[in-house]
Amino acid sequence: MLLEVQNVHAGYGAGPSILQGLSMAVEKGQSYCIIGPNGAGKSTLLKVICGLLHPRQGQVLFKGNPIHTLRTDQILMQGISFVPQDRSLFPDMTVRENLRMGGYILKDRKEVERRIDAVYELFPLLKERGNQLAKTLSGGQQQMLAIGRSMVLRPEIIMLDEPSLGLAPKIARQIFDSIQFLKQGGMTVLLVEQNARLGLKSADWGFVLDLGKMSFDGPADSILADERIQELYLGRQKPPRGGETA
Amino acid sequence: MTQMVQIFLLGMSLGGVYALMAAGLTIVFGVMRIVNIAHAAFMFIAAYITYFLFQSFGVDPILSILVTMPVMYLLGVVVYRLVFARIADSSRFAELTVLLTFSLALVIEGLLGAMFTNIYRSTNPRYATDAILFGNFYLPEGQFYATLISLALLGGLWLFLRTTRTGYAIRAAMQNRTAAQVVGVDVSRISTIAFGLGMAMAGASGSLSSFLFTFFPGKHWEWVAILLSLIVLGGMGSLLGSLVGAFALAVSAAYVSYFYGPTWSPITFFLALFLILMFRPRGLFGKPMEA
Ligand SMILES: Nc1ncnc2c1ncn2[C@@H]1O[C@H](COP(=O)(O)OP(=O)(O)OP(=O)(O)O)[C@@H](O)[C@H]1O
Ligand SMILES: [Mg+2]
Repeated sequence: MLLEVQNVHAGYGAGPSILQGLSMAVEKGQSYCIIGPNGAGKSTLLKVICGLLHPRQGQVLFKGNPIHTLRTDQILMQGISFVPQDRSLFPDMTVRENLRMGGYILKDRKEVERRIDAVYELFPLLKERGNQLAKTLSGGQQQMLAIGRSMVLRPEIIMLDEPSLGLAPKIARQIFDSIQFLKQGGMTVLLVEQNARLGLKSADWGFVLDLGKMSFDGPADSILADERIQELYLGRQKPPRGGETA
Repeated sequence: MTQMVQIFLLGMSLGGVYALMAAGLTIVFGVMRIVNIAHAAFMFIAAYITYFLFQSFGVDPILSILVTMPVMYLLGVVVYRLVFARIADSSRFAELTVLLTFSLALVIEGLLGAMFTNIYRSTNPRYATDAILFGNFYLPEGQFYATLISLALLGGLWLFLRTTRTGYAIRAAMQNRTAAQVVGVDVSRISTIAFGLGMAMAGASGSLSSFLFTFFPGKHWEWVAILLSLIVLGGMGSLLGSLVGAFALAVSAAYVSYFYGPTWSPITFFLALFLILMFRPRGLFGKPMEA
């Protein structure tokens, strides 16, 4: 198992536990999509995995070693990258400077520049805009930059929080295509997606997070097909119970 | 006309010091969202250190920057660790910092009062009273040096922020704290350094103020108001903005002082603060207000 989350409880400050005994397992080279209602704790889970939030109880294992007490930079060093929900770019830095920040924890500056060039090959559009300020990019380009920035570390696992948020459907599909491309390159992808259909279609395995736990998991296509889950989480238009006879 | 240019030059020659003060405040606000009400009080600590060195050992006030900057940096690091680091994760951080820096200012004022009494002080090196002539115009020598040094320090800060790894990390944290964490910046360490740097700036501007202005412990309140107007005009958190704000208001204050008398010059800042908050709360270079 590449990554294991075991019985994790986590919350903010002195507030209630948002995650309440959550467990999940992630295998190398697969892609995963986590769905669940707003406020379920999907983002919180990703924050726990990348060390932005430490669990109150339980553990996170990467290749069998506990990482839940490590700092974010140490977890990054191990090979887990995170692209947060709001994309979190440095608006007043250029595209290239943003990518350079992606390699912040690497000491070898030349190596960082080489890796930036490799990212440019993956996303030629970023190269064209290399000297442009990040805040002047379109939403889709910003998402591309956020993904590109996390690629500088050549992570084993990339975690993406709602990459399609606020993007036009066509652009969202392009982003998903590039995520697919990363997976083909051998990367393990962990995705949280509000657009559950789009997310599940591109993933091998699906998780449903609700009430602080994984309430369901299974092959992504079977989750997509599951009547009950469709009703609860995929927002399928269905008359309310007993509505037909009214 | 000549007179108007002369006033402009006088204003500009104070702008540099204002900019240095405002830069310290801005970097602390930018990285940590701390509105440091005690910034001017910290400046006064440096001013009194400078005064003490000048009176007791005849140390040149400009030279004493070599002492006040590192001392204030260290003091900043200690204060940050003791006071702010422990509440960094609080959801009430913003409110708490206002109260904490306010009380810090009171404590500093009290200590300075106990040590140096409430008498007006200033250092009076030779250049505090001499003037330099440039053709038809003159500049008070002290103001001229102070602005040159301020600009040099600001240039150094700019280079530091633009070229070093730590500088990049500080700018990153100023622009987007979460993003900085996500790429592995140790934001707590960077905050400590940034607070120290802000205090070092306060240190240098305190030394320079010691021969430009008179001071007594309680006077830092007036300075806080002035500094807040500078950084609000510039746009909270924008270094370039604080620079432009500082020069713009310094020049305006010089004209107000010429036309309406020196007692009116502080009003320039407060009036500006009021007008900016009414008509463009985000300032000249600021982002629209967010949470
Ligand atoms: N920084 C924070 N401080 C305090 N509470 C928080 C914080 N971030 C999130 N929460 C709370 O934790 C709960 C879960 O939030 P989280 O962002 O993990 O949900 P989510 O599943 O990602 O939702 P969404 O689909 O809306 O993104 C929510 O009730 C939220 O209010
Ligand atoms: Mg979320």
